[in-house]
Amino acid sequence: MRPLLRHGPRLSRPARPLWRTAARVAQSTPAAGPCRPSQRSRQLSTTPALQHTHPASASASSSSVNETEISHFSALAASWWDPHGPSRPLHLMNPLRHDFIRTCLSSSPSSSSSPPALRYLDVGCGGGIFAESAARLPSTLSVTAIDPSPTILAVARAHARRDPALGLGKKLVYLNETIESLPVPESPAEGFDVVSLFEVIEHVDYPAAFLDRVGQFVRPGGWLVLSTIARTWTSWVTTNLVAEDLLGMVPKGTHDWNKYINERELRGYFDGQDGVWGVPMVMGVVYVPGLGWKEVRGSEEVGNYFFGVQRVA
Amino acid sequence: MDAVIRRRGAYVCRSCTQRFQRHLRRTYGSAAQPDIYDVVCVGAGPAGLSLLTALRANPVTAHLRVALVEAQDLAKVKLWTLPPDRFSNRCSSLTPSSVLFLDQIGAWRHLARERVQAYQEMQVWDGVTGARIEFDWAPGSTPAAGTTIAYMNENLNLTSGLLKRLEELGGVSVFDNAKIERISYGEETEDLDLREWPVVHLAGGKQLSARLLVGADGANSPVRSFADIEARGWDYNRHGVVATLELEGEGWGGEHAKIAYQRFLPTGPVAMLPLPGKYSTLVWSTTPSNASLLKSLSAKDFIAMVNAAFRLSPTDLEYMHTQESGQAEEYSWRLEHTPFDYQAVPQTVVGVQEGTVASFPLRLRHADTYIRERVALVGDAAHTIHPLAGQGLNQGQGDVQSLAKTIEYAVSHGQDIGVTMSLEPYVSERYAANHVLLGVCDKLHKLYSAGSGPLVPLRSLGLSAVNALGPLKSFLMNQAAGNGIKVF
Ligand SMILES: Cc1cc2nc3c(=O)[nH]c(=O)nc-3n(C[C@H](O)[C@H](O)[C@H](O)COP(=O)(O)OP(=O)(O)OC[C@H]3O[C@@H](n4cnc5c(N)ncnc54)[C@H](O)[C@@H]3O)c2cc1C
Repeated sequence: MRPLLRHGPRLSRPARPLWRTAARVAQSTPAAGPCRPSQRSRQLSTTPALQHTHPASASASSSSVNETEISHFSALAASWWDPHGPSRPLHLMNPLRHDFIRTCLSSSPSSSSSPPALRYLDVGCGGGIFAESAARLPSTLSVTAIDPSPTILAVARAHARRDPALGLGKKLVYLNETIESLPVPESPAEGFDVVSLFEVIEHVDYPAAFLDRVGQFVRPGGWLVLSTIARTWTSWVTTNLVAEDLLGMVPKGTHDWNKYINERELRGYFDGQDGVWGVPMVMGVVYVPGLGWKEVRGSEEVGNYFFGVQRVA
Repeated sequence: MDAVIRRRGAYVCRSCTQRFQRHLRRTYGSAAQPDIYDVVCVGAGPAGLSLLTALRANPVTAHLRVALVEAQDLAKVKLWTLPPDRFSNRCSSLTPSSVLFLDQIGAWRHLARERVQAYQEMQVWDGVTGARIEFDWAPGSTPAAGTTIAYMNENLNLTSGLLKRLEELGGVSVFDNAKIERISYGEETEDLDLREWPVVHLAGGKQLSARLLVGADGANSPVRSFADIEARGWDYNRHGVVATLELEGEGWGGEHAKIAYQRFLPTGPVAMLPLPGKYSTLVWSTTPSNASLLKSLSAKDFIAMVNAAFRLSPTDLEYMHTQESGQAEEYSWRLEHTPFDYQAVPQTVVGVQEGTVASFPLRLRHADTYIRERVALVGDAAHTIHPLAGQGLNQGQGDVQSLAKTIEYAVSHGQDIGVTMSLEPYVSERYAANHVLLGVCDKLHKLYSAGSGPLVPLRSLGLSAVNALGPLKSFLMNQAAGNGIKVF
């Protein structure tokens, strides 16, 4: 098992994930210090050494995503919807996102409002793989999908025009916003039923502040769901040691492996929010070449995983 | 039949369609604009009707907006009826797994069940050497004695039952007596980009825009041509002669132990499959010239030829095919000089129903793929098989079951059901299985179509060996009963 998908579109093909991941990161965080695996778990908001809270991040004017990341995704725009292109692993993962959300929603009797008419906020929607699919579900009322890259949003909009069922501009709305620039709902009850952060949090410089902000968009009873990759020996070996030290394809010490977030750290963050959040749901997934993504119990400890938490207050 | 349209919470929501149409009208002021459907199925044969029934019967896919396009008059098919002692000449054996599927989608109970005949035993032998395989269930290997191998059924009984079930379910826009003028791609407007959506143009100006266009339109599939999918294969230079026969009795096993018979002749296999009562259906694959001779014969001479086909030597038969008439006399004379075990062949044919002698060219075709962007092929549109294994229609049911499941998964995960990404599981599930079956039937045909030469002793060995080898035989049996499909 190895953490393959840091972000699907970066992979040219499943067999060569490391180079791609490492190469991209090399340009994006040149100033980062050397990183080596620490078995110590960090706390997203309290431990100073691993403090990710940016002083200004709570203000609506700043952005959680840096420009290099944005331009990187923009470069991938053209191939986003090519089923055999670099985004294939993401396309294959998408059904699991729905399975996971369904598991989350059905775990809490309180969220089973009937008739189900769910409102989604998809943060970092990219070309719209998840946003489109959520908009197609009969149980969906609306999908608001935001991304900081205008180029990728142009791809998302152009693609959504191919399907009349999506109701582009009505049921499915794309906004060129960051979570910081998007106005917070006027009252908690006006928040979204599902706020999704798929393969996003590992691109964020200050995850705790970012999650603080995102949490305000979830209505009480609603769910925050995300997927990311654990920061472990395995992911360090595959993305740091091999790519940087052994293959020397990336300047040493420039890897942002340290931005990876472990499931326990996320748990710690939500536990520390004074009873705002319920008990998290977790599902570890592993990419099996030729078969696609499979749920593997316990694999959240080493690689890609889904994490969902209900806002209870 | 009138179009039955009920748009309840359709996948392409009604208001979107209307908005779209209003918009188009505004833009172009043209009268004929495409109606938008999630699934447009061309062909109301067994495959197309089962697919739509499966989609309508499943609550997950029932909200899809579906249309059916068929060249024939479906009112005639739905109201099809024959007296109890008359049977259509176009019959197919339905395997237990096909029947289970038809039952699950609620169609089986709409068939005229008294016209369906189960059979429990198969007798297969080589006309040149006499080597035999007895396809009955070996003791111990079967769930219960008298287990059904397959059900003989008139294709029209199936399609008529499926239409009744579809009518019960409602929600299908039916365009029958339809002529497809062309299939093109959609257009781009201000709001929508339908340049990848197929549009079916019907005579009279109706246009159907398809998220997923299904080709269930038989061996010469226009949808397959539109999708530019090559179907490769060859013609066997053989025709299948069919007829409804009356026998002297209900069969050697009586009413409850019906037997199917198949004899491999140098020109191809001849099969007699049991229908209810004293009736049976004939499928005789033979050369085109033999086929046209058989069709030209009087009832009396035709009956004699069929009886001869299961009893006389290939040499005798060959001679009788050179006679323009008088086969009846020739047969009774030759029969006296031919020793055979009368209980090992079907009971004597005493009648052939008027107007049921017909023939079809036989061929093997396999499409290069079953899917393209917004196109899927099922049934004979995807593959045409030699009828010797009686699997053609069953393969189509297997396709439909798989495609319906694929669509269900896509719908429940918010995928666009038309894109290849969503359709891939269908191809990976069905392609190899169909290919193996096509290959096996093709090889059997070739092995048994050689009248002399080195193949004959070999195949005699082959058939005897097959008979002796229990596990292999039960594999073949399971294949015949459709249980073995999943083996591949
Ligand atoms: C002699 C013979 C014996 C057979 N015996 C058996 C057997 O024992 N067991 C078995 O399982 N199978 C048997 N088969 C095969 C079986 O009949 C076919 O596999 C089955 O009918 C295929 O079903 P389908 O729905 O795919 O296609 P079809 O039954 O061919 O249906 C296609 C439909 O599409 C319609 N269509 C075609 N073109 C257009 C168009 N342009 N516009 C609108 N509509 C169109 C046609 O009118 C037709 O209704 C036999 C076949 C033959 C020839």
